[in-house]
Amino acid sequence: MLKPAVIARSGHKWLGLLIGVQVVIWLATGLYMVVVDIDFIHGDTLVKNLQQPVRVPDAKQLSMAKVREAYPGATQISLRPVMGKTYYAVTTADQRYLVDPDDGSLASPLDEDDAIGIARYHYAGEAQVGRATLITANPPMEIQSRTLPLWRIDFADRYVTSFYIDPYNGSLVTRRHLYWRIFDFMWMLHIMDYANREDAHHPLLIAAQISGCTFVITGLWLLFYSFSGPRRKQPQTPP
Amino acid sequence: MRLLKKLHKWIGLLTGVQVLLWLLSGLVISLLDPIKVSGNLWVRASNPVAPELGTGVLLEPAQLSAALLKGAPGIELTGIELTTRHGKPVYRIRHTSGETLVDASDGSVMKTGKAAAEELARRDFSGDGQIVSVERGTAPDMETRDSGGAYWKVGFSDPANTMIYISESSGEILARRNDYWRVRDFFWMLHIMDYAGRENFNNALVIGTALVTIWLGLSGFLLLIGCFRRDDFLFLNVLAKPAGAVITLHDPAASVPRRVTLRKGSNLFLSLATHDINLPSVCGGGGECGKCRVRFEAAKLPPANDIELGLIPRRLLEQGYRLACQQQVAYDVALHLPAETRSPRN
Repeated sequence: MLKPAVIARSGHKWLGLLIGVQVVIWLATGLYMVVVDIDFIHGDTLVKNLQQPVRVPDAKQLSMAKVREAYPGATQISLRPVMGKTYYAVTTADQRYLVDPDDGSLASPLDEDDAIGIARYHYAGEAQVGRATLITANPPMEIQSRTLPLWRIDFADRYVTSFYIDPYNGSLVTRRHLYWRIFDFMWMLHIMDYANREDAHHPLLIAAQISGCTFVITGLWLLFYSFSGPRRKQPQTPP
Repeated sequence: MRLLKKLHKWIGLLTGVQVLLWLLSGLVISLLDPIKVSGNLWVRASNPVAPELGTGVLLEPAQLSAALLKGAPGIELTGIELTTRHGKPVYRIRHTSGETLVDASDGSVMKTGKAAAEELARRDFSGDGQIVSVERGTAPDMETRDSGGAYWKVGFSDPANTMIYISESSGEILARRNDYWRVRDFFWMLHIMDYAGRENFNNALVIGTALVTIWLGLSGFLLLIGCFRRDDFLFLNVLAKPAGAVITLHDPAASVPRRVTLRKGSNLFLSLATHDINLPSVCGGGGECGKCRVRFEAAKLPPANDIELGLIPRRLLEQGYRLACQQQVAYDVALHLPAETRSPRN
């Protein structure tokens, strides 16, 4: 019969071989995620003018009644500020429109210059726009759950910032940057969902967690044996 | 090696329990089905087509009450939306402080009353249970911590104790909570170590603990590399015939020496243990307690490592004393075992 201490030590060693690397990955990715401020990750420091006041249209401007007349299928009409100016944003069963309240003209879909203008309006940095792309299909993973099309405006800054602008209502849908992308990668490693980076309820992760728990329990168990240094008064010459 | 071991066991003592809590809470969270945690499993599918606004005469946004449009000092109007609620056109007026729902035909402020909240909850919930309680709340509690304003709290008698929270001002469902969510929330609290708010994973306690514990992981990783030898994996090669070394054991309790054949390259302490020869040990072969001391009787003594240098006086090292847990079986040798060795005598 092997002694319990021997079993715990061998167990810790072999379980370490099995799951040790993943445990270190959990610790390292967890460390990144708790140390880096989540508001920074969300890009709060890269944006401005997010809370734009709404101006209610006056008598000289297009009335709500006129907009309803023009879009009889509307299910929703909202007043939406875009770059400081309030527009009508109309939603019908199959499309969305941005209507200028001054003359009733259709502002959507926004073209490249509009999208760049909106991105610049919300961008708190100094860098120039590097590239504008209209994404209509095969979205990058960082906007996988969003409705397309979207304008992607890349800034030439050290955060590799990208703003995503909705061409049908002019909103800044989301913003991504280097540290968000690192966070997302860390999250993928943390939950071991290498394909979609969102599912934390799958057999691989659960199996790894059970091995990890056993590994840590053997480690804690070993602590009982590991603080037993040689006693000072021990006879210097063993038999 | 010795320093790494020390670092590893002291950090283990300091944060080992939290590491286990991280693993356990992570496991519990992963075991819970997210569709149950969110309550989405029991949400009755609603009509995906939003109703049209129709052609009835409605108020213009400018005709709505000035107090509503202006808000209060420091509170800005952030959105006005003409939409429908239960087939009726309404204005949703959003301020930085919250949301107000207004009847678009007469401008009256709409509030969701108790009966309406009950009806909304009943229409939303498809699970197996009846409404057992309806209460009004004003301050956000643990389950509605993400939303502000007054709300209705509608409790169901289903096995998961579902509670549906409905905003009094907008009539929207703020949250669906059940026991799956509550269990997850508790273990999430343990996972992120935010015991008060259960939300902030950038708190100082978890950052500090993670900063210390990363060294537990890194030292463990280096120790792991250090403690494996090629011979640990010999079992993988089924074709190889293990070479043996004959060890002559002088046990003070036995009258005659005993001979065992041990696999070359294996750990001496463990190899003897598998032959039922248990050297005294507290730490189980970890190079901690220094009790598995044996004396080598050979012309050429094996080298001692830093752990042995730290645990055996130089005088005894020169006499051939070594720690069995730090030695590999290498060649035929005679060993003198300590008196406390437990082995079947013949």
